[in-house]
Amino acid sequence: MKKRKLIHWDYLLALAISVLLAFAIGAVILAVSGHHPGTAYLAMFQGAFSNARHFGDVLEYAMVLCLCGLACVLGARVGIFNVGGEGQLLLGAIAAAQVGVWLSGVTAWVTIPLAALAAIATGALYALIPGVLKVKVKVNEVITTIMLNTIAASLCQYLAKGPWNSASKTIVAGTEQLSAQHWFGGLIPGSSLSTAIFAAAIMAFLIWYVMQKTSKGFEMKLTGQNPRFARFSGIKTDRLVITCMAISGAICGLVGMFRVYGAEHMYKSSVSNDYYFEGLMVAMIAQYQPVPVMLLSLFFAVLKIGAQGMELSAGVPNQIYLIIQTIIIFCMAAQSGISASLRAKTGKRKASAAEGGKDNG
Amino acid sequence: MGEILKSIFSVGTLNQMLRSATPVALAAIGGSMTEHAGIMNIGMDGMILMGAFFGALGSYLFGSAAAGLAMVLLMGILVGLFFALFVVKLHSDEFIIGCALNTFALGLTTYLSRSIFGSAGTKGNPALPKLHLPLLDKIPIVGEVLNNHSIFVYLTLIFVIIMWLYVYKTPQGFWLRASGEKPETLRTAGISPEKMKWIASILCGIFCALAGAHLSLGQLNGTFAENMVNSRGYIAFACVIFAAANPAKAYLAALMFGFFDAIGLRLQKHVSPELTGMIPYIITIVMMVYVVVRSQKKKRTKAQQKA
Repeated sequence: MKKRKLIHWDYLLALAISVLLAFAIGAVILAVSGHHPGTAYLAMFQGAFSNARHFGDVLEYAMVLCLCGLACVLGARVGIFNVGGEGQLLLGAIAAAQVGVWLSGVTAWVTIPLAALAAIATGALYALIPGVLKVKVKVNEVITTIMLNTIAASLCQYLAKGPWNSASKTIVAGTEQLSAQHWFGGLIPGSSLSTAIFAAAIMAFLIWYVMQKTSKGFEMKLTGQNPRFARFSGIKTDRLVITCMAISGAICGLVGMFRVYGAEHMYKSSVSNDYYFEGLMVAMIAQYQPVPVMLLSLFFAVLKIGAQGMELSAGVPNQIYLIIQTIIIFCMAAQSGISASLRAKTGKRKASAAEGGKDNG
Repeated sequence: MGEILKSIFSVGTLNQMLRSATPVALAAIGGSMTEHAGIMNIGMDGMILMGAFFGALGSYLFGSAAAGLAMVLLMGILVGLFFALFVVKLHSDEFIIGCALNTFALGLTTYLSRSIFGSAGTKGNPALPKLHLPLLDKIPIVGEVLNNHSIFVYLTLIFVIIMWLYVYKTPQGFWLRASGEKPETLRTAGISPEKMKWIASILCGIFCALAGAHLSLGQLNGTFAENMVNSRGYIAFACVIFAAANPAKAYLAALMFGFFDAIGLRLQKHVSPELTGMIPYIITIVMMVYVVVRSQKKKRTKAQQKA
């Protein structure tokens, strides 16, 4: 067996080319829509690094992307695509927020664990629906999770506007603000960065450890790559897939709680704005490998927060970030496609040359 | 309660059903093509969004709905080619390309819409005509249900028939189905399955773009709002699966989606719109489960008969 390389140079080269190309295409789009690409990119850079507050936001967003990306990786490893993280995140967020409202007078030692439990339970249960349907009934999980996203978003909107709306009605769709004793401590004043990032780091480490270093992780890989073989070798694949899906949902639910207790201090729609999908994109670019997900999360968080700063300072819509991110995916796909077809061609040529050699000899 | 029932079972509901079903049906016709060609196309949502935006943009720039429609067709072909380039030519993962296409479309249309129209989007651009047939007015209920719709509501029915004939009654349709089911056999017969997949992708791009055009230029009279497609592409994909990629059955599935969407809209007077808005999505999940369970049962009984 080949020894595993620590750094995959092919992948890094492809990634670097893709990023450069994406920025070049992004520059063309900026120029065509009447913005100066140089000014825009400079504003983007400044938006992420100009002061500590922005950098705190970058770290907080990197945490969100990383956990969402890892949640996706966890599913992808066993062959189930959790596209429903957005719904699990929102439901986890609103459940945690409401627990905080109910227990507003109670000490943080009771409230925080219960809120986390609520977020984990709602996220996991909501992920179980598509998980069980996929394993037991063989319903395509992509469709069910997307439908469940829309349903969860509507449900949260209903709860935040109606039964769980703040009594003061200061916000149209939002729950009561949490009592300040329950907020996660802020690390950089003015930014959304909170102590939640330490919990997130521990979670990320655990996920990496289980996936890469334990026999369970190996079973997961086997289940994803060759489920029949995995079943024959005695792995309970159905149970493993459902468990992974539930854990993936639980992680998403916890991200929701982190957003509520660390950054927003109440449930409102800005808790997540398709953040899970951006994490999903990161997981795809990282080819579903945990360590690249962590590193790329930081890179894309810089881009995202930078793009938001750019919108304020240079008036460029921040969606250029989504465009650049997806172009990176397309470029990576194109490169692997082209190199595969080149390999096939040279392989054929070699084979025919060998055959020709035989004929001559 | 009586009032609620009356508002549900009314002519207005059926009228709304046709309107809600049309964009989903158009996209589902396109999705049936790629499904037959063996491509799992979850990028339809993005394709519809591109159509909706470029329709509104064309109408805004050139001041005519016909120009908007021309732009939609062009974009549809381009998006179809783009999709096929990755999925067919470069053998990329369909799931990744579909997801990326949806996000790309969301990013691009929102970016351009904000750059060109500002954050509120655009409205009141020249729209597609509504059809009024005086003949239909004479029939009491049918007239009210069928008349005064945007032109695509009628065109969709024609498209369904044409594409059904194309898939099941023409040689090319036969090759299309073979390209997904038995690509190697098709190749032995001297026809390239890749070519059929390219054609399917382009057709899918065109129909999805038309679905978008119906949303922005037809149903909403020249309006574009950010993310206006609202997961209809995924519902269309679900319809394709219900229908086993039969365009006619997919149309019926879309009608059912339209019916529940219409009921949701009707109930808004009595229940909060957030809750009624969930109905079509819940129904989609229930239907998916039902269809899969039924097809498995069929398979099982077949296997038993053989045994």
